[in-house]
Amino acid sequence: MSAVVERPVRASRPRRLTRSLPRAERGLGASVLVAAISSGFGTLLIAATGFIGAWLLAAPYLAGRESVVVVVAILSALLVGVAMFVAAIVTTTTFATIVAGRTRQIALMRLIGASARSERVRVARQGLVVGAIGAAVGLIGGTAGAAALLPVARTVWGIDVEYALLQPVLVAPAVIVTLTTWAAAWAGSRRVLEVTPLEAISGATERNRSEAVGGRARRIVAGILFLGGSLVLAAGVALGLLSPLGVVVAFVGGIFSFTGLSLGATVIMPPVLRVTGRLFGRSAEARLAAENALRYPERSSRMAIGVVMGVTLVTMFAVASQSAREVLISSGGGEPPEELLSLMDTFAAIMMSLVDVSAVIAAVGLVNLLTLGVIQRRRELGLLRTLGFAAPQIRRMVLLEAAHLTVTSVALGLLLGVVYGWAGAQSLLGSVGVPPEFSSPTFVLPAIPWATVGIVAVATALLTAVAAVAPTRLATAVSPIDALAGD
Amino acid sequence: MQQNSFDTAPMAARVQNLTKTFGAGESRVHALDDVTIGLRRGEFTAIMGPSGSGKSTLMHVMAGLDAATSGRAFIGDTEITGLSDLDLTVLRRSRVGFVFQSFNLVPTLDVLGNITLPFELAGRSPSAEARRRIDALVESMGLGGRLRHRPHELSGGQQQRVAIARALATQPDLIFADEPTGNLDSRTGREVLALLAAASREHGQSIAMVTHDPMAASHADRVIFLGDGRVMADTPRQSAEAISAYMLSSEVGA
Repeated sequence: MSAVVERPVRASRPRRLTRSLPRAERGLGASVLVAAISSGFGTLLIAATGFIGAWLLAAPYLAGRESVVVVVAILSALLVGVAMFVAAIVTTTTFATIVAGRTRQIALMRLIGASARSERVRVARQGLVVGAIGAAVGLIGGTAGAAALLPVARTVWGIDVEYALLQPVLVAPAVIVTLTTWAAAWAGSRRVLEVTPLEAISGATERNRSEAVGGRARRIVAGILFLGGSLVLAAGVALGLLSPLGVVVAFVGGIFSFTGLSLGATVIMPPVLRVTGRLFGRSAEARLAAENALRYPERSSRMAIGVVMGVTLVTMFAVASQSAREVLISSGGGEPPEELLSLMDTFAAIMMSLVDVSAVIAAVGLVNLLTLGVIQRRRELGLLRTLGFAAPQIRRMVLLEAAHLTVTSVALGLLLGVVYGWAGAQSLLGSVGVPPEFSSPTFVLPAIPWATVGIVAVATALLTAVAAVAPTRLATAVSPIDALAGD
Repeated sequence: MQQNSFDTAPMAARVQNLTKTFGAGESRVHALDDVTIGLRRGEFTAIMGPSGSGKSTLMHVMAGLDAATSGRAFIGDTEITGLSDLDLTVLRRSRVGFVFQSFNLVPTLDVLGNITLPFELAGRSPSAEARRRIDALVESMGLGGRLRHRPHELSGGQQQRVAIARALATQPDLIFADEPTGNLDSRTGREVLALLAAASREHGQSIAMVTHDPMAASHADRVIFLGDGRVMADTPRQSAEAISAYMLSSEVGA
């Protein structure tokens, strides 16, 4: 990501073939970072879970502590899972983008005699190396972080419990991250198979190959998951009117419907992105930005869904806790116990800060996608400069492109977060009596935590600005002559 | 053979004592060495020369894409030497058209979007007159049924015709064509050259074409030969055979 900035864009205009090598390495930096974040997060969370578990089990007065330990373990596994899932999405997209930029080099290898499969294996092997490096960094960082934080936790909360930090299980996230990065690189390099040797010698024309928008089978599975999941979610909400156990059903429905949504991202996101594109007006730069965001629908959709996931989770916890709070306040006919409220707030705050990690990973991916997009479009940017696009217009175009993706994903994430958060609160608390009648069922109104929405909006603006820094610098440094230089 | 109308005919573009050097010291290269030429309005000029003769550099400087080391450059009567990047951008947008070897269409825009792009870059939609002109261009380029196609759905010849329509749409002072037939088969290449020649002949469009193909240059009203950064010859229309013969003799003589 930011490593790109230092490179002078138009040093000596070396031939494309040699230029594509360092370019590829640059894109890989983001994958290392993503792997490091997710494996470090996993390591840290496992250590924290183990520590909390040891503490709870050591407290003999706590009733039902085994089930609490199990719940904490499940929650942290889910959080790590989400972070790794987002990381895998980011890595897949990164590799797909890198492969697209390396087409000529791959074509040359094919021309000389490499098989498509061996080329793909080569790309995937890079994924393995990148994943292993990132995972190792994350493992060391996460362990060091845990080692630093445990004494703090001991003193601050006065917890006195024996807990050995270094356990074999800490390696698990690193191993999983290495394997998922490898798999993601493999998935992202599918296009290598389509590169023909001819592309090394054919004219300089850049083919705007449309990326396959997912298989039919995947779309059907996505549709079934989404519809089925939504039905189960609704059933959970209905069941919640009778019993708090509805939340378990709703939880399953939520997971299924959101998985369907992520799988079907390539179907859902482009129309939504198109709507956002209209909002930016009809100026040339706005129109070009809107088209660019949809140039590779698969990449943009995947990236966007990563951000959507992060925002949805954050919003969901905020809405659920706020809604629950209001139900508790009105059902109790007054202020519920302060301890309960503060416990809920603490829980929501911890969960929100933990899912933030996924949002950060998605943001890294977004920055990388935009940067690689600009690097691979040098010729076209040079053309626009030649035809009369002034540098500020180019800057605005790239900024709008970034805004396009962030605004769309955040808006969708907020909407989904409110729906899921409300469904969670409703299914959990629908059977709680509320005055004046104190009779079930209760309808919980979705309470929007405006503070969170505000923070998310500010974070979006920040993310857009940060995501656009490196690409705009690169883009405005392109000179008109780049369009004329044959390669 | 030198043409003597340099001072009388109105010029679409001209350069005076243009010098451009790359590098310094031992590795110093004179890409252009005291070049003075003018491109007459309404004429189709071919700029020829072997690789490294400075023809691309000359075009870059004349089109306001690159700055010369010394000397002056004009588009019409406007001196472009020392103009700011923004002024040059606006000048290119309104008064210069470009046709490239590799077509260089914007892949995300359809044919019509590419043709009207120069207008939209300027933040205005084409006037009624410009619209009529675009319609006529689309018709004469045979792109009528393709307005909603994207570049990757078109053949090379069709893409180049879109690029020519884009360049002609704004009625620029001058169109620069950089090896416009370099990526085309010979039949399609001839069609493209005929379109350029017709634009010059019928609509008085000034065109400067950089090429090393004698066949392509034979379509031009005037042929300028460059070698080692200097103007070696400046002749009226020539047959491809004569151009080839000249190039061979200068090659042998060098």
